[in-house]
Amino acid sequence: MFATEFLLYLACILGGGISVFIVMWSWKLERLNQAHAEIKTLRRSLDEMDEQAKLIVRTDMELNRTQEELDKKISGLYALHNLSQAVSTTLEEKQIFNMVDSAYLQDLGFQKACAFLWQTNEEKFVLKMQIEYFPDEIEKIKKAIELDKTFYLELIKHNRGISSIYREENTQAIEKIKHAFGCRIFVISCIMPKEGEKGFLFVGTEDTDTAITEGDQELITILANQIGQALENARLFEKTWLAHQELEQKVKERTRELTVALEELKIASKRKTDFVSSVSHELRTPLTSIKGYASILLAEKLGQLPPEVKERLEKINRHSDELTHMINDLLDIAHIESGKIIMKRQSLELKSIIEKILDLFSLQLKEKQISVRLNIADLAQNIFADTSQIERVFINLVGNAIKFTPPQGEITITTKKLDDQAQVDIADSGCGIPEEEQGHIFEEFYRVDNAINQQVKGSGLGLSLVKQIVQAHGGKIWFKSKESQGTTLSFTLPRPSQ
Amino acid sequence: MTRLSKYTNILLIFQATYPSLRVKIKASIGVSREKDCTQAAKEAINQAKANMPYKKFDLAFVFASIDLCYPSLLKTITAELEHVPLIGASGAAVITNLGILRHGVAVLLLNLPEKIFFNIGCVRDINTKTPLSAGEELGAKLLYGLKNVSRDLGVVFSDGLIKDNHALMRGLQEKLGASFPLVGASASDNLRFLKTCVFFNQEMLSDAAAGILWGGKLNFGLGTRHGWKPLGKPRMVTKSYNNAVYTIDGLPAAKVYEEYLGRDFNELKKELKHITTLYPIGIFLFEEEYLLRNIVAIEEDGVLVFQGDVPQGSQIRLMIATKESCLLATRQALAETNVKVKHPDFLLVFNSISRYILLGRDASKELQIIKNSIPADTPFVGVYTYGEQAPLKAINYQGKVYFHDQTITILSIGE
Repeated sequence: MFATEFLLYLACILGGGISVFIVMWSWKLERLNQAHAEIKTLRRSLDEMDEQAKLIVRTDMELNRTQEELDKKISGLYALHNLSQAVSTTLEEKQIFNMVDSAYLQDLGFQKACAFLWQTNEEKFVLKMQIEYFPDEIEKIKKAIELDKTFYLELIKHNRGISSIYREENTQAIEKIKHAFGCRIFVISCIMPKEGEKGFLFVGTEDTDTAITEGDQELITILANQIGQALENARLFEKTWLAHQELEQKVKERTRELTVALEELKIASKRKTDFVSSVSHELRTPLTSIKGYASILLAEKLGQLPPEVKERLEKINRHSDELTHMINDLLDIAHIESGKIIMKRQSLELKSIIEKILDLFSLQLKEKQISVRLNIADLAQNIFADTSQIERVFINLVGNAIKFTPPQGEITITTKKLDDQAQVDIADSGCGIPEEEQGHIFEEFYRVDNAINQQVKGSGLGLSLVKQIVQAHGGKIWFKSKESQGTTLSFTLPRPSQ
Repeated sequence: MTRLSKYTNILLIFQATYPSLRVKIKASIGVSREKDCTQAAKEAINQAKANMPYKKFDLAFVFASIDLCYPSLLKTITAELEHVPLIGASGAAVITNLGILRHGVAVLLLNLPEKIFFNIGCVRDINTKTPLSAGEELGAKLLYGLKNVSRDLGVVFSDGLIKDNHALMRGLQEKLGASFPLVGASASDNLRFLKTCVFFNQEMLSDAAAGILWGGKLNFGLGTRHGWKPLGKPRMVTKSYNNAVYTIDGLPAAKVYEEYLGRDFNELKKELKHITTLYPIGIFLFEEEYLLRNIVAIEEDGVLVFQGDVPQGSQIRLMIATKESCLLATRQALAETNVKVKHPDFLLVFNSISRYILLGRDASKELQIIKNSIPADTPFVGVYTYGEQAPLKAINYQGKVYFHDQTITILSIGE
């Protein structure tokens, strides 16, 4: 290129053509100017591009900041959600504070945290939780809180939070908190359970690049509320648990007392049974003699008796029989209670027993013109019991029914099948048992106060004996009665196993 | 030096004849998110042991978040492993194929075939000794344990708060060779820049570095990418010394950032952490390769102090990235590793904390990209770092290892 130009110049000079030189020179100048213009354009473009780059960077920076804020908010919300779930499912006060850890705290956008609760009896704030503080820092914070406890108590009293977001009225307090907790950015929210100790939660960061907003303050307030709610639940649970424990203790004590009383009762009952048993035995011998001598005299083997004497002797004989019967019943009760009677159980047909008993009472039934209705279920026909004892049950109950049923009345005997038992109901259309006396009819020697009982003699031992026999078979006995409408006496007895 | 067997040659001949029967590295991983460091250590190590089909372990890599970095963490792990060598570092978060652990510990156990050898070493009191001489000391220690074996690769973990990490690398290169492949990670904490740790057997060290030198027949693939793109016109570093840049285009260095970001000097200082994460400078190397540098401080006279050397006369650009460009860089780094390793046994991932901040909630996408590019169940572990060390690809740099910022460095080991 340069060589060609040089040759042209040389040709011009050699040719003496000044004009050619001028033309060439101006052509060269023009090209140089063009190049300059292009460079200038390029430089301008580059500068313009650089200006555009500045705009891009600034826009990008704003976008990134917004994105970061958004990410922070989402992470914070996730953390709050998870933390709230964890806290609300905890029922132990200590565990509630342990749930808050540095991972959650970072997601909420903070580095450090601590929580204090006011102990009324000690009149001081007690540390319940701390994250990312060194022990000496915590001691410093405790001292600062103790010095300014009225300020923190005021916050709690009015359930008022405070944060490093600038507010003119709080400037001095904010600076104090920053200094006390060693964080330039912070939020304090009150922990307000309805009952018990209240306090506050502090979260903060040393990082001055972090900016907090009203939204952050709101998140921490929600967290503090959740902690408060969880504390309330935990305390309520503890209270309920303690009450439950107390109740259990009381039940145990009462059970122990009842067991002791029952044992004493058993001992007393045994003594009574033994006493009745021995007295009855002792009475039997002289009674036998009395009855024997009365019978001899009545037979007039020792000479004829005047009618007055004979009448008196007949009374002695009859009363001796009644007394013997009573003593036998008493002895039976005592023997069953003490377990001395062994039940000879076997499979029995209920229907035949009932028929046998009705046959026994046929004369009385006929005399009083009482009709008997039998409802005997096929499936409840068999029972597993001692024949003689069960017959005594039926004799007593049917006898009672006949006794209390007025002439031309009705007696209904029903049998039903239960799971592994048979139920027998003996219903009469008698005078019924007065309500106030219903609780006593199974007691020994208890006789319902009514006109029939006043006319007919009885020992008051029949139902007591029946109850003992039924219970000795593993059955139950009860009744339903309404005055002047009749009584239904029911009892259960075991059925033979299949 | 570990294990030299008289059967090695026979084994190698056998393996050459039947490549498909080559003995592989067996790797198993265990992680824990427990808050108590002893409990976390127990859970992670027991999990890793349970996942390993063999009872013999040769080496353990441990990475933990800074909140678990208490002496009992390593004591518990080493007690379980007895005399197995252990190496690792703390991080702002731990990267594993089982997820990113912001609070947790990961243990990678290796069972190595007989043809692979290694030696681990550490250097303490780096700032007292100077990073350069500490690097030399570490290099010498690593070499001492691996004599008469061809050396393949070095992996180094250093305290992320050491002022001149680049000098530490230079010291290592003095001993291991200028172009010897080295990969490293600067340990980090939870962005509080208070304390970072490197793990060496049962010791948890600060102001220290620990390394491992591999030898024998280790096959590895390495990929390092950042995804940041140049923006604005090129500028010239007109005055600098080591990592301090005094003037750019003849003006105080901070002026460039003030202009681009539209912030005054004080605002720039206040927003430093944010700015340096998103907009580092890139030193032009070759074609599209830029070496990134983060600002660590802005001096009153407008001097910018970077986390690595910026040579005087360098052509620099302001760099910018998007989440997409970051994730594309991850794919590219993985593609680089795949060139040499088709069937990885395990991966080590050292990822810049800046990328973690930029990606935000999308950090898990990056993890998924890694998982998608390797066979299922291939374990990988690593940490988010305050800097990465890896060779430069530019030809005129001859594979020399440099200190990087904002990169993801993936080391894939396998066949």
